[in-house]
Amino acid sequence: MNSLITDLAQEIFSGIALGSIYALIALGFILIFKATEVVNFAQGELMMVGAYVNFFIIQGIMGDLHVPTGWMFLMGLVGSILFAIVFGWFLDLVINRPLRDESVFSIIMATISMAIMLRALVSMIAGSESLVPQSPFGGAYFNLGGVIISVLDLTIIIGAIVLVSAFYYFFNKTRWGIAMQATSEDPIAAQLMGVPVKRVYALVWIFAAIVAAISGVLLSPRASLIDTNMGFLGLKAFPAAVLGGFGSIPGAIVGGIILGVIETVSMGTLSFHFHWVKEINDIIVWIVLIAVLMIRPTGILGTEEIKKV
Amino acid sequence: MIKGRYDDENLKWIPLLIGLVLLIPFALKGMTFSYKYYIYILNTIGIYIILTVGLDLLSGYAGLISLGHAAFMAIGAYTSAILVDQAGLPFMFSLILSPLIAGCFGFIIGFPALRVSGMYLGLTTMGFGFIIRRLIIALREWTQGSAGLVVSPPNIFGFTIKGDWANYFLVWTLAVLVIIGARRIVKSKIGRAFMAIRDSEQAAEASGINLAKYKMFSFFISGSLAGLSGVLMAHTNHFISTDHFDSMLSIYFIIMVLVGGAGTVYGAVLGTLFIVLLDNLFVPELETLLHTMFSIESGEMESFIFGLVMFLFIIFQPTGLYGMWLKMRIYWKLFPFNPKQRFT
Repeated sequence: MNSLITDLAQEIFSGIALGSIYALIALGFILIFKATEVVNFAQGELMMVGAYVNFFIIQGIMGDLHVPTGWMFLMGLVGSILFAIVFGWFLDLVINRPLRDESVFSIIMATISMAIMLRALVSMIAGSESLVPQSPFGGAYFNLGGVIISVLDLTIIIGAIVLVSAFYYFFNKTRWGIAMQATSEDPIAAQLMGVPVKRVYALVWIFAAIVAAISGVLLSPRASLIDTNMGFLGLKAFPAAVLGGFGSIPGAIVGGIILGVIETVSMGTLSFHFHWVKEINDIIVWIVLIAVLMIRPTGILGTEEIKKV
Repeated sequence: MIKGRYDDENLKWIPLLIGLVLLIPFALKGMTFSYKYYIYILNTIGIYIILTVGLDLLSGYAGLISLGHAAFMAIGAYTSAILVDQAGLPFMFSLILSPLIAGCFGFIIGFPALRVSGMYLGLTTMGFGFIIRRLIIALREWTQGSAGLVVSPPNIFGFTIKGDWANYFLVWTLAVLVIIGARRIVKSKIGRAFMAIRDSEQAAEASGINLAKYKMFSFFISGSLAGLSGVLMAHTNHFISTDHFDSMLSIYFIIMVLVGGAGTVYGAVLGTLFIVLLDNLFVPELETLLHTMFSIESGEMESFIFGLVMFLFIIFQPTGLYGMWLKMRIYWKLFPFNPKQRFT
């Protein structure tokens, strides 16, 4: 009985870590959705690009200079964030601006085709075999009453909470955040009130790309593999965002963590004790998604939107 | 005078289409030695056309997004394979029953469509695709799991249809029927109801259109057409597995519809032709060319080109190939007196 509780606690902890990754990817969708009403299906691919850039910066530095390990990973993080800034701005230029007045369907398909292109480009440039990244903490952990807590997982969880709260503060308290809210409400009225709408859009896409790059940097040592299929993980963040309430920033972390815990527990203890759970544990997030949409489409923390004719 | 039902419509295109479809294989046989390969590609196109026309009715006309259409195809394919090979039903019976079963699944996925719209519907259908794929693997008693299933060739009234040449006539007979049927649906009350729902749900409802009924119907008909294409795919390829129906295929179908021009039946046909021909004739050439020039790894070239074509079409030509054709036709009709600003 005692081992069951320990196992369960272990699974819940690693579920929270996985959920934090989902939360970070979902945060990217939600930022873009909140300010521009565009749904970015390429968020997972942005994360993949971030992970690849980080890997190559670290490899490059390791080959040429002999800097201490801590600095190396810090430089990798800073480098991928800088790359994400340029890349997010580029995406705003090619996806967001030309498609302002198009239907939801066209925008979704534009981001999906961007995702397809990114995946193909990365595998053409970096090769299709998967890369093995190093962990900055080298597998350090401490033992808390039988539950193994790795430093990396703890960093991921803290990073996700810090980023989500930072963006929550930014959106609700700062001038730029309120400008973003005004833009999402009504771009023309916001423009008339002196909000630089184009700059707001560019800033939102850059933020989303930065969040994606950070989640890629955090995920790659946890998954201990980098390959082009990492982008598919981004799809699993959609159920997380919907569960938390699409358009709500704290909803990202709530939905992400709930979903991560459900997934790990069903893969571990539940599959061990109930045979049939094994069949569904890779689609359980989608079952959750459909259930949420059927029961409460606004999610846990979302607010009802009233559509005007 | 009150007009009859079909008076203002030009029906000359039907014999033209049938003649073209009958002519092409013989022309190919006369022209090239490797005609069998081209016939095979044409069969693939025919199978995909059945699906993309159905998808166009759903996405282009009724405005409902589906990112999981390959799942309906998988349902049709597996149902037919199980019915014919394991239950021993005749092929003709399965040809009618399997699409209906796929249509019933469309009916089921239509229920969420009543509550959610836009992106949420896209996510629901995408999730539906993953769930169906998993279901097929889980029912391994009948479907052999992920190992795949060998399917017998179609048998119509005692005649076994074997080989690409015979398959061509089976596939394209059905494809032509589907194209004609879809054109009739689009011009009827149902088609106009779909378009009203696409343009504004509130306005459609206010005009007395039963939203639930027509949304469910569009999912049913689109699902059963996808099921029909799945049946044909299973029986002409003789082998199906879950990898044939992965989520990327659903995306490719949407690319076909959008490149051809969403909201026109001919658009779906043209888009399918364009993408499949691009995939089979142009991409291999380009890959070898790139390989000799830069010696880079070009295995992903195909999906990159699909993504790029899609992206360029959405940005620069949202009406697709068919819209391009319409613009060109008007341009030449008005030739010397073209109002410049309309054709930029």
